Amino acid sequence: MDKIKEVQEEALRAIQEASDLDALLQVRIRYLGKKGSIQALMGEMKSLPKEEKPAFGQKVNTCKQEVTAALEERQKELQKKAVAERLEKEKIDITLSGDRLTLGTTHPLIMIQQEIEDLFLGMGYKIAEGPEVEQDFYNFELANIPKDHPARDMQDTFYIDPNTLLRTHTTAMQMRELEKAKGETPIKLICPGKVYRRDDDDATHSHQFMQCEGLVVGEHITLADLKGTLEFMANRMFGEGRKIRFRPSYFPFTEPSVEVDVSCPFCNGKGCSVCKGSGWIEILGAGMVHPHVLEMNGFDSEKCSGFAFGVGLERVAMLKYGIDDIRNFYINDVRFLKMFDRFD
Amino acid sequence: MKLSYKWLSEYVDMNGITPQELADKMTTAGLEVEGIEPMAQGTNLVIGEVMECWNHPDSDHLHVTKTRIGDKPEDVYQIVCGAPNCRKGLKVIVALPGAELPGGTIGNKPVRGQDSSGMLCALFELGVDKKVLSEAQLAGIEELPADAPVGERDVFGYLGLDDTILDVSLTPNRADCSAMWNMAKEVGAILHREVKWPDCMDRINDGTEGTFKVASETEKCPAFTGKVVGHVKVGPSPKWMKDYLQAAGMNSINNVVDISNFVMLETGQPLHFYNLAKLPAHEITVRDDIEMKMTALDGVEFDIKKGDIVITTGGEPTGIAGIMGGEESMIDENTEAIFIEAANFDYASVRRTSIRLNLLTEAAQRFAKGVEPMAMEKAVARSVELLEKYADASGFEKTVFCGAKNTEERIVKETLTHCNDLLGTQFTMDQVAETLKWLDFRPEISGDEITCHIPTYRTDIERPADIDEEVIRLIGFDTLPSTLPYMSATVGRMSAAQNLRRVTRDVMMSFGLNEIVTYTLVSQEYIDNAFLPLENPIALAMPMSEARKYIRSSLINSVLECVQYNEAHQNTDNCFYEISKVYGKDREEERLAVVLAGSLMKDRLHGIDTKGDFYAMKGILNALLDRFGLGGTRVHINENKIDTVHFHPYRSAEIFLGNQRLGVFGELHPDYAERFDLKRTVYAEINLDLLLSAKASHVKFTALDRYPAVSRDIAIVVERETPAQKILDVIRRAGKKLVRNMEVFDIYEGEHIGEGKKSVALSITYQAPDHTLKDDEITSAHEAILNELKKQLNAELRG
Repeated sequence: MDKIKEVQEEALRAIQEASDLDALLQVRIRYLGKKGSIQALMGEMKSLPKEEKPAFGQKVNTCKQEVTAALEERQKELQKKAVAERLEKEKIDITLSGDRLTLGTTHPLIMIQQEIEDLFLGMGYKIAEGPEVEQDFYNFELANIPKDHPARDMQDTFYIDPNTLLRTHTTAMQMRELEKAKGETPIKLICPGKVYRRDDDDATHSHQFMQCEGLVVGEHITLADLKGTLEFMANRMFGEGRKIRFRPSYFPFTEPSVEVDVSCPFCNGKGCSVCKGSGWIEILGAGMVHPHVLEMNGFDSEKCSGFAFGVGLERVAMLKYGIDDIRNFYINDVRFLKMFDRFD
Repeated sequence: MKLSYKWLSEYVDMNGITPQELADKMTTAGLEVEGIEPMAQGTNLVIGEVMECWNHPDSDHLHVTKTRIGDKPEDVYQIVCGAPNCRKGLKVIVALPGAELPGGTIGNKPVRGQDSSGMLCALFELGVDKKVLSEAQLAGIEELPADAPVGERDVFGYLGLDDTILDVSLTPNRADCSAMWNMAKEVGAILHREVKWPDCMDRINDGTEGTFKVASETEKCPAFTGKVVGHVKVGPSPKWMKDYLQAAGMNSINNVVDISNFVMLETGQPLHFYNLAKLPAHEITVRDDIEMKMTALDGVEFDIKKGDIVITTGGEPTGIAGIMGGEESMIDENTEAIFIEAANFDYASVRRTSIRLNLLTEAAQRFAKGVEPMAMEKAVARSVELLEKYADASGFEKTVFCGAKNTEERIVKETLTHCNDLLGTQFTMDQVAETLKWLDFRPEISGDEITCHIPTYRTDIERPADIDEEVIRLIGFDTLPSTLPYMSATVGRMSAAQNLRRVTRDVMMSFGLNEIVTYTLVSQEYIDNAFLPLENPIALAMPMSEARKYIRSSLINSVLECVQYNEAHQNTDNCFYEISKVYGKDREEERLAVVLAGSLMKDRLHGIDTKGDFYAMKGILNALLDRFGLGGTRVHINENKIDTVHFHPYRSAEIFLGNQRLGVFGELHPDYAERFDLKRTVYAEINLDLLLSAKASHVKFTALDRYPAVSRDIAIVVERETPAQKILDVIRRAGKKLVRNMEVFDIYEGEHIGEGKKSVALSITYQAPDHTLKDDEITSAHEAILNELKKQLNAELRG
């Protein structure tokens, strides 16, 4: 009986002493294997008197179970330890840079365009399109700028022939849309696109630039509606809390016409270098669609009215991002393009 | 325009309104004041006299003076002066110590050891515009007249420089305000103050019956007014008139010429005064059917063409109407009698002629912007008054006239309701009527209706909306509420094409490409080297430069130029795309250009290098087409047979959608790349219109595979020229429906492979939708495939 106890204690000790899984396997063989110590104890049972056999057998079984349980437990422990050691060996330098999986960029002008599009799509506007090589008729005549009108000076034009030109403003698209509508209201659209004027390129002038105009025609559309709409736009584009200021101006296709200032987003209207101390930044031109324009396009100016506005995308981008030279947009230096890797 | 504050005060009481306040109010009302310039600036100035003047002992150009500014002993100052014209007895402008001048504060300290208390001034040192000063005035101190009052502290008042000039930017519809009288009315309406015009209108009727005849043979001169003045005395103009002309940026010539200019500035009517004695006949006829060369004042010849309005007298042309008079009949110091011309010429015609002849005279510019019909009479009447007063004029003949008098005032009716409706305001009738009254619109109210009598100079007021604009701009835009349009709901939605354009940008961005926007206008060279250009390139009628002469017919050169710029600025791996329209005479087309110069993705640390090669481009285009729902069997990649000038003949391909060519992609031809200093560069230019308008397949669910797939790898040896696609086609057909997928994973040429051959390793995946494939099924399919490969392509299974 003591022998059993002796073997069990010896086995348990060996189990605890096994420092890795290999050593443990040797212990298992030594005690639980076919030729192991515990199996050998069973062999000794033969020589015992019959009546002692059951008790002895039971004791050996208990011993076997306990040794087995201890082995299993030690096995788990050592496995855990082995995994931990392996993982430790796999340690990496997490400070090394990640894979350079770069996304591309959208051109800042297009980003501004899309921002304005999304803003107005959300208000039920559609996006109009039209040709850049345009007829004088749509660019000027229908926009209430007949030949020899002084306002043609305001936008010196790239003519191709006497009737064809590179559009000087996206108003040409408005005129096409008005004509297409054949007097039917409501009309709610914006028309973004490239436009061209005979300007020498410098830090603030470009012979090619982008505009986005908006047009709403319906019953009882008011100048106050224009103000509300532009206020909404300014708040979305330059941050909440922006105020709008109208100043009288002149465009041949609107009456009344206004220049629109937005309260300076950089100093909150207190006055800074961006707004030249005035607290306001001129941002766009707008007005009520001229009744003659409505009539030329087949609308009854007694029954309906409308507003229109136009914003220069370069101007917005330059203000928003503090860009000081308009030529950057067309040089496309990658270092410049990569600054605009997200919407802001 | 340059607006003299002092001159304005002649018509409107400006008491209590500073130039700055006036400028602010005008800007708010739509007459934008862009600058406020005092004619001269400086404090602590006084008129003095140089009593003594000697050379500075330590300088070769400085003088030391004793200058007195009064009669008492303490009124004598020692002042050092550097001007060469400084001398004893000269009356001068003295800036006393502490004086604030544009250049700084005047001190009281020795100059090279000599005491100096103050400064003797030149006018430009007092901020007077150098353009209006003579060379002598620019070279030294101002020399005041001998009778200048010593001790006078209002120096600017004495000099007529006590004025402030507002630089007003007039919108084209308010050309009327370039006439002082009309500007005064506008200011009166802004300030709610009375405006007084000189009371001279009845002077138009002065004079006795004469013989001078005027006629117009063209509708481009609808009215012509003239008047003979039998006697004038040419001499200097009064000082105030010189001052006002100077304020307006004009030089004084003599009293008669000055009056013609002054009256033009007042009334807006360009006038021409003829030396009556030099007119060959007492007759003027306006014509527009003359073709000739005309020599102008400075000997330059001008081509007069049919359609130009010409003034003739006695059958001979004497001037280009509204633009320039003839030299013969110019007013000079000997002129004794004159003929006044005040006519109305078609603005469009004057504009065209003056631009063509590059004669942008003051008169031409005023005619080109439109002159109001009543201005002729105002100008003649005012001329009579001023000539009599300042040029001893007499012997007036009756005003002669031809054409139609168009002086009927316009009536415009508006209702308060419509006005408030358009503006979105709630103005009262009193507010609106008050505003219109100050504009001299003489509003008559009847219930809701307002009848306005529009003064003739307000040619811009034609419709109710014009009245509404006057109301809101003068009451003030700050009273305008903010609302949103109240109308039936509309759906805001992008068109399919607009949506797909954004999809294109998303795909390009996800592959790391940067979007560029380049100029539409390009050079002849770019047009000559365009890629698949639209036919008949469009040239500008009047380009600004050779570099911007044509509207581009393809994108390639603009895009490569952009890569060239970036490479030159040490930016590497330049992978860009641009979406833009290109043009030919008969049509436009939207294109997508993609350029890969370097790697799409590169990371040496982690061993990543996605080179921007032919296959990268093909992958990008495939991904784009898949995203458009156009992938699969509709897309064909064929050998590039259309353009091997821009493209490498063996590393480029045409891409088709069905039977429509989308474009070409591949490596640039090294010769072409070299033009832009580029190395291996891959480019694609694709017709986006075809993609945006193509009908995409619908997204459709198919059941997931339930039975296992089995893959078999093979390596076959084929002719080097055999395209991989051909091998895949054979396998697909031979494998019937059991081949689920194929993937080429290696191409090998060289050792152990015969000359002119290549080894293609590929993996074939077998799978059936309805049962687990048995070994013999797979084996028989596989062998059928190998047999077909052998039969069709002479492919040997590699051992």
